[in-house]
Amino acid sequence: MNAGVKVLGAGTMNDIALSLAGVDKIYAPMAKKPVHAVMALDLDVRKGEIIALLGSSGCGKTSTLRMIAGFESVTNGTITLLGRRIEQLAPARRGVAMAFEGYSLYPPLTVRDNIAFALKAAKFSARDADKAVKEVAALVEIEPILDRYPSSISGGQQQRASLARALVRPADLYLLDEPMGQLEPRLRALLRGRLKQLLSERHMTSIFVTHDQTEANALADRVAVMEGGVLQQLANQTELKERPANVFVATFIGEPPMNVFDAKVEVGERVRFVVENGPQLDFSANEFSEAARREIAKRPRVTIGVRPHDVRLNAGSNEARVVSNQWLGDQSHLGLEVADKLMVAVAFSEVGAARGENLRYDILGAKLHVFDADSGKAVSHGAAAA
Amino acid sequence: MAQIELKSLSKSFKTGKVLDRLNLTVEQGEIVCIFGPSGAGKTVLLRLIAGIEEPDEGAIYLEGRDVTDAAPETRGVGIAFQNFALFPHMTAFDNIGSALTARGASASTIKAKVEKVAAMLKISHVLSHAPRALSNGQKQRTALARALAADPKIVLLDDPLRNVDAKLRYEMRLELPPLLRASGATVLYVTQDYKEAMAIGDRIAVLIGGRFEQVATPAAIYRAPASVGVARLFGDPTINLIPVKPRATDAGAACEISGATVPLGGAHPESAGRAVLLGLRPESLIVAGEPGADRFPVDVVAVTPLNEKSVLLMRTHDGREIFASEAEVENEPRQPGPAFARFDPARALMFDEASGARIGGRA
Repeated sequence: MNAGVKVLGAGTMNDIALSLAGVDKIYAPMAKKPVHAVMALDLDVRKGEIIALLGSSGCGKTSTLRMIAGFESVTNGTITLLGRRIEQLAPARRGVAMAFEGYSLYPPLTVRDNIAFALKAAKFSARDADKAVKEVAALVEIEPILDRYPSSISGGQQQRASLARALVRPADLYLLDEPMGQLEPRLRALLRGRLKQLLSERHMTSIFVTHDQTEANALADRVAVMEGGVLQQLANQTELKERPANVFVATFIGEPPMNVFDAKVEVGERVRFVVENGPQLDFSANEFSEAARREIAKRPRVTIGVRPHDVRLNAGSNEARVVSNQWLGDQSHLGLEVADKLMVAVAFSEVGAARGENLRYDILGAKLHVFDADSGKAVSHGAAAA
Repeated sequence: MAQIELKSLSKSFKTGKVLDRLNLTVEQGEIVCIFGPSGAGKTVLLRLIAGIEEPDEGAIYLEGRDVTDAAPETRGVGIAFQNFALFPHMTAFDNIGSALTARGASASTIKAKVEKVAAMLKISHVLSHAPRALSNGQKQRTALARALAADPKIVLLDDPLRNVDAKLRYEMRLELPPLLRASGATVLYVTQDYKEAMAIGDRIAVLIGGRFEQVATPAAIYRAPASVGVARLFGDPTINLIPVKPRATDAGAACEISGATVPLGGAHPESAGRAVLLGLRPESLIVAGEPGADRFPVDVVAVTPLNEKSVLLMRTHDGREIFASEAEVENEPRQPGPAFARFDPARALMFDEASGARIGGRA
């Protein structure tokens, strides 16, 4: 995104809670090559919105969160929270509640007092504070350890106590670092739902960091996908899946992510994608909008993609050998040998196809994604130009 | 002939008993996943079979031979670990060939075997690279190639996909079983991801608290888990477990859920009068707007997407939280609010509340 021009979607300036503009983070350790951890980041978060910063380790997501919190300085750019410039303020003066690794509980206080401490500053009456602590403790399931000291509880319990401490108090913005890091699966699934309910009902503007897209999709209104210090796409999960901005996002998002193939393009009466050693996908020209056709025709070679859930099985005229057919309880995952690669297909029912057999498959024009072969940028999604 | 046979294998550390009288028979060419929560003893078990640790009691037979007291290098076992454990100063080629080199194989044999396994795992183009120049996926394949290069009859894989990125993990889940079958080896595969265990194993041995709670095919474990403990480990979100005490009626058993009487039809007649846990998988709960004779009232608290499905967190009228999962309906997202849920009694599971054992057959 260009730093000067901002696309705010449906929002207006008054809806914006937090705004990052042209934010850079460069770590320059002594006698070592500087690391550009975050590059020219523009990010607007609407009031009451839940944003996930998603990426693999080293993508810049944690540096971003720490700059907003004030634990890291900003190399360039500005951070504005409800109209106030905060990038130079001390963490405690930013009006931000946070649950961070390393932002630990006060050892001399019990878990209950740790959580309640945040409410004293907010001038809660003793009764209201007690009620708020009980509610949030129930939410993260730490009632039995409220009277214990931090040193006597497990790492996972400390993490939940610190999450409770952040959620309990009124703040302009909530910053959560891997909020569901090390929980057992049932509690994790419960917390996803409970947190979603709490944050949306109380319109708590929140940003959380995660490397787990399941978590990001479950909780966030919009997901910021980061890689190599660069914001790749900021969108809701439907958009990320159906209109990924580039090949990176397409092959990162999705469980499983998108299948991609290099293809030669022929555009005329028909639009044809020829995959080397693979299928020829042949579509009627009117399956693509004029704009999409024009963009596709500009390129002799492209990368085409199809999501595993969009591969139609036992349909069409393409055939592929079944490498694997795995039933996972509520869905089937199939591996098909296409163009010397593995194409993954998913069906929500059992598919009767054994390893080694040939299976027919089809890819509809409406479900085909086209990317520029060099830049990886999206060219078209289904009928529409990107 | 059984390739791997564990007979009443036990192992304790200072902290307590880790493995408790394990028995397991693995047939030639079979892939068995050892699956369980972290700390269940999965890695210890692999170390016992490899000979890195000694058991306190019991015996290990490999290819029909008692190797309980045999040195690790004489067991003919190939191993790959989750952290790859490649030799940093050696190329991928030398890493893969290391077991053959140690065994004194000729240079031409080593070359032929390394190239064959590298082609199978699609890493022929990186054989001259040092580990630091390999991506995580290539490292993982190199470690796997090293385990397979010497044509071991038995291969032990310790969570090999743990440290690779999502796309590659999905692909490897689909590619690994045929590759392992092509190698002809008998495989023990440790994982703590139930989906991976279901995808890769011919059978799954579910290790809980040092015991195998169930050893069966993935489908059998999902459809007919031996116990509550097993049922809770398979499924995402996890299975709903509702304590009920069904009573006999003229039309079969019925139970109280969320203040409503839910008929169980002909299913689970044996549960009448007993304190049981009703196990309902999220995908077998059907949520509707209107009440009905077989439905119970719920409040949909939150709707969260999960892997192309919507997960509904619902609260029953007695305050219990349960999940339903349903295929996403395009442009018609579910909204929180009151609703009614039902299930097909034939798909419900019943467990004895006291022992946790599943009761009754699966209908």
